[in-house]
This record gives sequence, C-alpha cells and structure tokens, in this order.
Amino acid sequence: MLPFIVLGLAAGAAYSLASLGLVLTYKTTGIFNFAYGGVAMFCAYVFWQLRDRWHLDQWLAIPILLVVVAPLLGLILEAMFRPLAGSPPEVQIVVSLGVLAFFTTLVPILWGGTPQQLSSIFPLGQFTVFGDVVITGNEAGTFLLAIAMAGALYFLLRRTRLGTATRAVVDNRDLASLVAVSPGAVSQGAWIISTIFAALAGVLLSSQEGLVTYVLPLLVIYSFAAAVLGRLTSLPLAFAGSMILGLVQNIFAKYGSSGTEANFVSSIAYLAMLVLLLAYGTRLTEVRASARSLAGARVVAGGRRDLGVGLVGVVIAFAVLPHIFSLSTVHDIAEAMAYSVVALTLVVLTGWTGQISLAQMSFAAIGAFTAAHIAGTHGGLFPLAILVSVAIAVPVSLLVGIMALRLSGLFLALGTLAFALLMDTLVFSTRSISGGITGLNLTAAKIGPISLRGIHAQYYLCAIVLTIAAAGAWLLRRGPIGRRLQMLRDSPDAASTLGVSLTVTKLAVFAACAALAAVGGSLLAITQTSVDPNQFSFNTSLELLLVVVLGGRSLVSGALIAGGFDLVTLLPVPTAVDKYLPLGIAVSVVAIAREPDGLPQVMLTQLRASTAVLYSRALRFTQHATSRPDPKPVSQHG
Amino acid sequence: MADALLAANGVTVRFGGLVALSEVDLEVASTGVTGLIGPNGAGKTTLFNVITGLQRPTHGAVQFAGGDITRWSPNRRGRAGLSRTFQRLELFGGMSVRDNLVAAWEAKTPGGVLGRGSVKGRALVDNVIARLDLAGIADRRAGSLPTGLGRIVELGRAMCTQPRLLLLDEPSSGLDGAETTMFRDLLLEITDPDRGGLADGPVPAVLLVEHDVRLVMEVCGQITVLDFGRQIARGTPAEIQADPAVIAAYLGDAA
Repeated sequence: MLPFIVLGLAAGAAYSLASLGLVLTYKTTGIFNFAYGGVAMFCAYVFWQLRDRWHLDQWLAIPILLVVVAPLLGLILEAMFRPLAGSPPEVQIVVSLGVLAFFTTLVPILWGGTPQQLSSIFPLGQFTVFGDVVITGNEAGTFLLAIAMAGALYFLLRRTRLGTATRAVVDNRDLASLVAVSPGAVSQGAWIISTIFAALAGVLLSSQEGLVTYVLPLLVIYSFAAAVLGRLTSLPLAFAGSMILGLVQNIFAKYGSSGTEANFVSSIAYLAMLVLLLAYGTRLTEVRASARSLAGARVVAGGRRDLGVGLVGVVIAFAVLPHIFSLSTVHDIAEAMAYSVVALTLVVLTGWTGQISLAQMSFAAIGAFTAAHIAGTHGGLFPLAILVSVAIAVPVSLLVGIMALRLSGLFLALGTLAFALLMDTLVFSTRSISGGITGLNLTAAKIGPISLRGIHAQYYLCAIVLTIAAAGAWLLRRGPIGRRLQMLRDSPDAASTLGVSLTVTKLAVFAACAALAAVGGSLLAITQTSVDPNQFSFNTSLELLLVVVLGGRSLVSGALIAGGFDLVTLLPVPTAVDKYLPLGIAVSVVAIAREPDGLPQVMLTQLRASTAVLYSRALRFTQHATSRPDPKPVSQHG
Repeated sequence: MADALLAANGVTVRFGGLVALSEVDLEVASTGVTGLIGPNGAGKTTLFNVITGLQRPTHGAVQFAGGDITRWSPNRRGRAGLSRTFQRLELFGGMSVRDNLVAAWEAKTPGGVLGRGSVKGRALVDNVIARLDLAGIADRRAGSLPTGLGRIVELGRAMCTQPRLLLLDEPSSGLDGAETTMFRDLLLEITDPDRGGLADGPVPAVLLVEHDVRLVMEVCGQITVLDFGRQIARGTPAEIQADPAVIAAYLGDAA
C-alpha cells in the first residue's frame, strides 16, 4: 500500500498546482479557464524546446519559462478575458474553450504530434524510507515543490499588499476600487500567478506521463474536480481535493492498471466532479453575477414565406449537389449533413434555451453504436435501430436533464463535461458496446426495400432527415415552443411564476435534443463502414460547439454551416488551409463568441455597412458629376 | 379579515444565521390594493418570494383562496392565479413586447405550449396592449426598453395570466414623477371593480410593495409595515401614518 500512497501524493501534488491556479483566476476574475490544460501543455513544450532541443541549461530554462514565458502568456490571457467580465457565462465558456482548441491545435503544428519524453527536472536518484518504500527524486521533488508553491501562494495572499488587494477584490470588486485598489492590477497578478502554476503543472505532469498532446488537457480536467470540491473558490479545499484524488486514483490503481480497471481509475475524477456538482447543486453561485443574456439570441421575425423560399432553395441545392460532385465528395456532404443534425441540437440547447451541453456527441454515439449493433449486419433493421437508439438516448438524457434542474451556466457546462467524459471512459470504451478501439463495422443499411449501400441513397436519406429537422426547428422556434424555450433563457424566475414548469421544460428539451442527436449519430454511422469511440469523444463535442458558435448558435443555418466546416478542405484550396483551419476556427471563435448569430451574420452586417457607405459615396459622386438642380442641395459647394 | 384572498401565517426565513423574516403575518383582501412597506432590507422582497414560491420558508404557511399553498411550486401558484412583477426587471428580453404577453398567456393556459387557446390568447393580448397603451412598442424587443416602459410591460405580462392576485414589487422604482402618476392611475383602473379586469377575467386584487410612501397612501386600503423582518404595524393609511412604531422605523428612534 505505501508505495501507492507515495505515488498518489506525487500525482496529487501536480494536480494541486493546476487546481490552485484555476481557482485563483476564477475567484479573482470570475473566469473559469477551460484552456488551463492547453496552457499547461504549451508551457511544457516550450520547456522541452528550451532544454532538450536548444540544450539550454535546465537552471536557465526554468527561469525563462517561469519568469518570462508564463507571465507574458498570463498577461495576454488577462487582456483577452478582461473584456468578457460582464458577459453571459456561455460567452466566457465558449471563449475559453476556443483558447483550449487554439493551444491543442497549435502545439502539434509547432512541435509535431509524436509523443516525446520529458525527463524530470529533479535529480534522478532514488532513496528508501520506512524500510522498503522506494521514492524517486521526481516524486519527492514534485511533492515538495507543490507544497512550497502552495505555501508561497498562501503567504502571498495573507501577508503581502498584493494579497490584501486580491482579497479585497474577491470580497467586493466595486468597493475595492473605491479604496484605491486597482482590480486591473489584481487581475493581472492573478493571471500571471495562475499561468506560472500552469507551467509548473505542465512540466511536472509531463515528466510523469510524457509529452503527449491529448493527454495533458485530460489530466488537467482531473484538477477541475478538485477545484469543484472547493466550489471553485476555496484554495485550501482545492489543494486537499487534489491530494485526495491523487491518493484515491493510485490506491485503486493498485488493483489493476489496464483495461476496465484503468478506465475506472481515470473516471474517478469525473465521477467525483459529477457527484460534487449535483450535491452542491443550487448552492453553487458564480463569482460575479454575470450579465443576463438579454443581448443574446432573439426570436427573429419572419413568416412562413421565408421558410418556403428557404426550403425550396435547400431542396433544389440538395437535389442538384450529387449530380455535380464526385462520389467521394457526395459522401463527405452526407457525413456533413449528419453532423448538422447533431449540431442542430446545440442550436436549440445553447442558442435558444441557454443550456450549455458539452455532451451532445455522447448522444450521437448512442445512435451510432446502436445502429452498428442492430443494423450493422442486418441492414433491414435500420429503421428499428433508429427507434431503439432514441429509446436509449431519451432515458440517458434524463441524467443530463436532472443536472440542468440543479445547475446552470458554468456549473452545467462542467457537469455535462463530466458526463461526456464518464460516457467515454466507462461506456464507450467497453468492447461489447463500441467494439473498443477498432470500432464496429457496418455493411449496408436498408429502409424497406431501399438499400442504403449506395452513397447516393445515404446522401438522400441524410438530406431528407436534415431538411425535416431544420425546417421543424425553424417552425417551432417561431411558435409557442420557441417562446417557451426563450423564456427559460431570458428569465427562468419570471417563467416559473407565470406558470411554466422548469422541470418539465428542461427535461423535455434535453430529451428531444438527445433523441435528435441519436438520430444524427445513426445517420453518421450509415455513411461510414465502421464507427469507433474516437469519433464521438468529448473532444468532438467541444469541437462541434465551437463550429456551431462560428456558424451562428441562434440560427438554424448555424447548424448547417457547422456541419459544413469539414467540407472546406474539399475546396480547391492550398493544403496549408487544411493544416491551419482548426487554428483559424479557434481564433475566430474567440473573436466572435459574443455574436449569437455567428460569423456569417457578422460578415453580412459588415458587408451591408460598407456597401451602404460605398453607395452613399457613389450617390454623392454622381450628384456632383451631373450637377442637376436638386430641390435639396447636397452641399453648398455642389 | 374574513375574506382574505391570501394569508401568510408566521412566515420565517433564515439564510444561515441571518433572519430575513421572523414570524410575519400578512393578509391581502380579495379586492383593492393592499400595501406592504418598510425600510430597505425589511424583508419585503423575501416575503414576495415566499408568497410566489421562489423561496421556501423555514417555517410558516401561506394560504391562497382558502387552500394551503406553502409547498406548491411557483408554476402551480402561477396557474392558480398568483402573478407578479419584479423589482429588477425580469422581462423576456429577446422577445418582442407582444411575444412577452403571448408567452405569459401560453404559460398560464394548460396546453398553451402546444398552441391551445391561441385565438382567445391573441384577443386577450390585444386587449392588454390597448388598455396599457403599448401598441406603439408592441413589436420592439423587450430588452431594449427603458425601465419605465419595461415596468408597464411586466404589468401587462402579469395581467395576461388573468390573475386573481397581482403582486407588484416596487413598480415605481426607476420611474419619474409623471410616470409614477400614470402608473398610479393604471393601478386604480385595473383594480376598479367596475372597470378592472380583462376580457372575461377576474378583477385582480393587488399586493403592492413600494418605497414611494405617498403612492402607497393614495392607493392602498390596508397597509402592513415590516422592519428588520418583523411586522411592526398594520392598518389603514391614516392609522399607519399615526403609528409611533412606523414613525420610529422610518425616521429613527429620536423622532
């Protein structure tokens, strides 16, 4: 047992640095930094570049990382997040997820995707205590360093002027600025310290687990759970939570470190996060009362004629496309349409109802794996597979719905994140459910006598389902149901006192969206020859949310555009576009997260504004040129 | 008061160690306007939240139209005929003014979310828009309205549920003198047994929480005064104005 405790304390110590950094920025600025793992990973790679590639002395590389790189990064992040202080939680969440996506796509571009080893910054030796317990230098060093950093942070907050100012800002921001404490300076201080902690956590965790691009952000999510123990605001509880988590994980690891047991060990943190969030429930309050989403999505006026025109256009486009493009392109479009169906559920949930879900691809996965099991070899059962997948998705969605009853904003986002990760590690990793890493094969689905083996058949099925779902959503949005969802978004209190049952409404909307996501998932499955859990991991849920935000989270067209992002690479564009597209998406999301109508609308508005300017200039020019007598002289000199 | 529409008995609310309301009794007559006044922090809004179900009382009971509603959900109370406005506006900011009113009707009507009773609802909403003179702003986004108009829209929204009891939380805050006078006249009209109510709905009784003591004295038949979570006086406007405890609460003990 003792060796596992030692390992546990070392792991917990590394988590604790991350959870302290997270809590520090959250309690001083109200921003929960989902990108923390990305920042930590970036810093770890910078350190690797400095020490192992440029062969700088370690004792030069560490100060460069901690005194130059991390503080600079902290200041950049601070400047980026400061304007978001009063924004609705969804905007803050989306921006920090965008930053996460930025780092997780930037790092492989800069340093390649192959895992690297990062040797410990501590002396390599090992020593024996309690008779037979071997402790490596890395374990001892990590543990002692974390204790020292936590102690230093404690000292800083309790005994220095900056600390007093920080505590003043945490207590009452407005009051603090009245007594000559600058919230700006405090916020910068918090981000700098937080990023230094991220850099250390990144280096320490990477020397335990290796430099692997997709591992570090996950490891840092463990520390989210510890931060939740302290309701995201208590530093001591976050520290304690990290240590407990490290211990529990390693003690369980004693009983098995592969297969199901390993999955269980990694799910402990997610499970703890979910349980803690539900247990705290409505007692969780966000640090700063975020502005309500009044500026957010609005019900757009527009009659059935608009729908008619739009529908005719879409149907014609869908009918024409397969005749212009090659088979492989038609296949890609069909796949994009299936993604659009799932994306539509994010428009309904996040854009219209104001409920953030980071788990929609988990419901798509239910659809996909059900389709593969039921119709994978017996294609004729495909319609049954859709029904069964809906029948499974809806009860599962109640879990998320119940969360939505007790949590909102940031906490709902964390809850759905934990849910998605639990589904990944406990359910979809099971071979009997998903076929494991290799996935499940599909041969040919059928609807009645129509075989869906052909790409065109798949295409038309996806097109029909997407058209019906999108038109249905568009219509419902403009009727009583759309108003009901908007009530929930704009003012749940007013809605409930007017007679709306929040319980029924939330459970219903989560259930409907889970069902639709499952349908989208089964469609996705039939466009593939096999489906595997990687296609539906929590990462894909985050990516889908980002492209929906970009396409316009309050518009049905946003979902169509979101699905279409994968198609950009089909255009005759240089391969560089392919490589940098995800990076571009991340940057654009950060830039336009405030706009519920997304990038196309922003561009249209800009275009209209500039054409208006051009038009008025042209008008003035022609009036000058012709110099006709005008009843209203344009200018005295004219 | 035998004909009380709403009665709160011994309502106590504690937040941790803080006692927000302590053994408060309140009765609201089934007609006319009842006032609830008190200095800042007296617990008026907390009592409102207890009555409308947004806040569970630590103990005590709330009765409405003769039945115990203490454990009812806010939406059940809403459908039973309790409707309120909010001190801090709680409009559905993304919807048009008209949609705010339509949504309220749909919320209160069983099956409204599936479109039941929509014809009657439209007529009712048109009626409210005409009565409150909202025609000019009916298509504007509610979130873009100034506070004064917003309060009228919240009142209209509450009216669209055809309430038996209308609870107004500081309707005059944020209004200027002229707007307050207009609001007073509106209030008197709505509650007038001869002119009040809407379409075939009931004439609502009103519970008014207000800072503006003059407004309260002008419109209320009965007034309850709270201070530090306790009821310190109850009576007609004349009685309240003469009550030494009220004078002490508002002006300090020296008075």
